[in-house]
Amino acid sequence: MSRFRDLLNDVRDGGHQDPAPAVFSAGGRDPRFEEPGGGAPGAPPGLLHGAIVSGAALLVALGLVGSGVKSAGRRLEANASGSAQKVATAQEAEVAYCTPDFKAVLERVLHSCGLGTATERRGCKPADIKTFAAIDDADFNALFTPLKERGGVLLFDEGKDVLDEAGAKLLDERWFARQGARYFFVVARASKTGTPDQNRALSHRRANSVLMHLQQLGEESEEELNQRVGLLWLGNEFAQLSREYCQWPRSREDAVCDDEAINRSAFVSWVDCRL
Amino acid sequence: MNRVRLFAWIGVAGALWGLIFAGISSLDYASHLDRGLHDLHCSFIPGAEASPVAEGCRTALNSPYAALFKQELWGGVPISLFGLGCFAFLLGHALSIAYSGSRTTRGAGALYAAFAISPLIVSAIMFSISWFVLGSICKTCAGIYTGSVVLAISALGVLAGSWGNRARGSGPGLVLAAALAFGMLLFVLAPSVVYAALAPDHSKLVTQCGTVKIPKESHGALLALHGTAPKKHALFFEDPLCPTCKSLHERLRAAGVLDRLDVDLALFPLDNQCNWMLEQPLHPGACAVARATLCAKSTGDFLDWAYANQEELAAAAKAGGGSLSQLLSRKWGSELTSCMNARATEQRLNRHLHFAVDNAIAVSTPQVFIENQRLCDEDIDMGLMFALGKLAPELVQ
Repeated sequence: MSRFRDLLNDVRDGGHQDPAPAVFSAGGRDPRFEEPGGGAPGAPPGLLHGAIVSGAALLVALGLVGSGVKSAGRRLEANASGSAQKVATAQEAEVAYCTPDFKAVLERVLHSCGLGTATERRGCKPADIKTFAAIDDADFNALFTPLKERGGVLLFDEGKDVLDEAGAKLLDERWFARQGARYFFVVARASKTGTPDQNRALSHRRANSVLMHLQQLGEESEEELNQRVGLLWLGNEFAQLSREYCQWPRSREDAVCDDEAINRSAFVSWVDCRL
Repeated sequence: MNRVRLFAWIGVAGALWGLIFAGISSLDYASHLDRGLHDLHCSFIPGAEASPVAEGCRTALNSPYAALFKQELWGGVPISLFGLGCFAFLLGHALSIAYSGSRTTRGAGALYAAFAISPLIVSAIMFSISWFVLGSICKTCAGIYTGSVVLAISALGVLAGSWGNRARGSGPGLVLAAALAFGMLLFVLAPSVVYAALAPDHSKLVTQCGTVKIPKESHGALLALHGTAPKKHALFFEDPLCPTCKSLHERLRAAGVLDRLDVDLALFPLDNQCNWMLEQPLHPGACAVARATLCAKSTGDFLDWAYANQEELAAAAKAGGGSLSQLLSRKWGSELTSCMNARATEQRLNRHLHFAVDNAIAVSTPQVFIENQRLCDEDIDMGLMFALGKLAPELVQ
């Protein structure tokens, strides 16, 4: 404690004999360090020098900091008045097959079939497709070629519209593999057996069977299904499938597949295009 | 050379070294006031080229300990500014001691020692925070710590050298000491005052980043994080393997903000295994960890764990061969991994991603909406507390 008291005394006013002039004592200053006009009486000899250096260092520091802050402020203003930075936003998937031609036809079909705008789904019958898609049979089928792996062909019995277990399973698999797609297409068909009117009606019922199954899943509301699922029903007068479509993923894989069987079907697929 | 003078010159060198690094650190901090992301001068060599990575320095820069008054000023007042003033003062003080040399009295030496050792005390505290809390040491900060250590050595050397040199007679010693202390205080505060006075006003900018289009996911697929005393509602888009999400989550947790929020959590893994919006996985394994989050019994507990073990999870995902599943299974049981692979879980995660599409959020994480108001990306790091204070003052009170 006495040492600390001594130290305090030293800081305060000295008090002991000092062999050399004390820095903080008024009486002990070295004349060599007297500065004209510098240092208050009693101030240590180096104090003015120190103060000048400290002050200069602080001024430089303040200048740099002030300049840095002002410069940032100017950049901020410039950024605010400039165009907003473009950032990628979350969107549905867009894959390679979404060519302008593909999208043009798809969009025409979608808008014409009631998907693009309203909540009400109208669906498309063959006459609509011909009119709105403005496309021939082969080109229409070719549109769906890129969807070979993404989609599936659900096969029906002759003259029937009941979705069997295998068809429902394949439909579920495809439906739940949505990923980034927005639209789910159902393209129902009927074979050439029977009259065109009968086949058109049958095709329509098959499309509805698929839709009813999706409704029964209860995953989406009616409105959401209306906005997402595009129904097309084709009779036997437009875009019949050839036998080679038997190679596509289909239900009833073990059953015989020919020109007739492949058209008693509904092709289902998500479409990974932004429209 | 006289011992006092020698140690005083050492003090000059230490103060100069600290001044340079405090200056670099302050300027790096100030450059971010334009709300941009800038390279940092994170090196032991003064003047070395700035680096975009600068991991330790960026961690320190974005930490809540880097600045004071963060709610009042965007980014707050960086503490390096206090160091800047302190080192500037000590530079002159050490020089005056070097000038006095052997004539330095015990009192003057003691006063210098008291001043010159003070940066070491602050540096020791900051070093502890860096090492034990942040888990890294920033090189620029290390430069300041080094300057502080050198000054402390100088302090002890000057004190020892001047110990036998006792002053005589009465004088204005105590007044001068008080004046010097006051001067040092002014020096310490001056850069902060200048910085705060010149800093641009960000108040208007923090509320200009839009609103959420669709606040609720129609199938109830989102997760919920309930605060203990919720005052506001929030919607978060997060990726469990995103380091920025981790940092944000931890800072919100530490500041008690999460306790005051009821959060709807939408998972947005930046991994193209499930997220079609990316061509390359930014965070491989994020889809799997996101599915695990959906399957966890307590979302909050799982998320805390996932963020705390993020590096380990990312490494396991990178290793492949089921390492990630094994890691998750070891901690949370096989039920979790079974659930992760269920179709319903994949479907639910897909709904989270489509919810992001419906809201056209930016493809980056985290995305935060407080009461439907979007927290700007620029406000997620340095300006977080300021922005929260503007968007929802209840969260930071």
